Amino acid sequence: MDYKYIMQLLQRYWNCETTVSEERILRDFFQQEEIPESLRKYASLFRYEEEEQKVSLGDDFDERMLSRINETTVKARRNTIHYRLRPFYKAAAVVAIVFTLGMAAQHSFSTDDAPQQASYNYATYKDTYTDPQVAYEQVSSALKTVGSGLREAGLEANDSTSQTDANVNTEE
Amino acid sequence: MINFRDDVLPLKNRLYRLALRIIPNTGEAEDIVQETMIKVWNHRGELSTPSSAEAYSITICRNMALDALARKESSNVSLDESPYDTLDTSETPFQTLTREDSRKWVHKLFQQLPEKQRTIMQLRDIEGKPYKEIAQELQISEEQVKVTLFRARQRIRQQFEKIDRYGL
Repeated sequence: MDYKYIMQLLQRYWNCETTVSEERILRDFFQQEEIPESLRKYASLFRYEEEEQKVSLGDDFDERMLSRINETTVKARRNTIHYRLRPFYKAAAVVAIVFTLGMAAQHSFSTDDAPQQASYNYATYKDTYTDPQVAYEQVSSALKTVGSGLREAGLEANDSTSQTDANVNTEE
Repeated sequence: MINFRDDVLPLKNRLYRLALRIIPNTGEAEDIVQETMIKVWNHRGELSTPSSAEAYSITICRNMALDALARKESSNVSLDESPYDTLDTSETPFQTLTREDSRKWVHKLFQQLPEKQRTIMQLRDIEGKPYKEIAQELQISEEQVKVTLFRARQRIRQQFEKIDRYGL
């Protein structure tokens, strides 16, 4: 065995001039049992370096790791689906709000009409007054109010139409 | 595209050895490897090749181990109480040390190196990595890797010369 070469390699090793493969040669060399006296003291260093390469984790680590990865991947995928649908959620929320407001508005407008529509259904009628005289007075006063209101509205409408007619005439 | 089973999981032992070099506790080192892999996997979109996944893993693993070490130190747990310091070879001539004892002695030598020197010794002498890769993984220049490795080897060499002259 040419120890000169090894000694030379060792010297270059200390000076960080060896390549990765030359350093492997050194580690391999010191694995053998027969090492010359002059080099023996360094054996423990290269043997240590060689042995430390064998420090490892068991197969149970793989199982634990893979189950953790599956967990996080599933979670991540769920998150991304959630994230991607975000604009749709917003749009859906807006639609829901508009729809609710619309329904509410329609409902509040239609409450005025509803009793009128229902008034054709005599079965739903409920007596408000027990004395027919009082009931008659209430109805006639209500009809008078409506009647006068209608008359005023009619007059105003006539006024505005005659006014626009006048405007048209002046323009001509 | 990075595949966990083929590209990340096979790094487990390399990462474990690195973590163990910084934090000499097997349980904690294993936790660090797990957290590293989770982080690497979550960032897989940014990693184009398996080799970039390896470099990234090493970087993350070292940073996590250093963070764990800093947390430990801040909570006043003394690292001097590592089991390797109990080795008493003061009266035994080096040549007659058992193989196991001399292994422990070298381990202690490694562990006494400053972290950067120790990590570079780990990556170069134990993992057999080229300077370029180590530089990438530690995010320093190749020149810095070489200088640090040189200091580490000189330090180890000095210890060997010392025991040769005076014994342990």
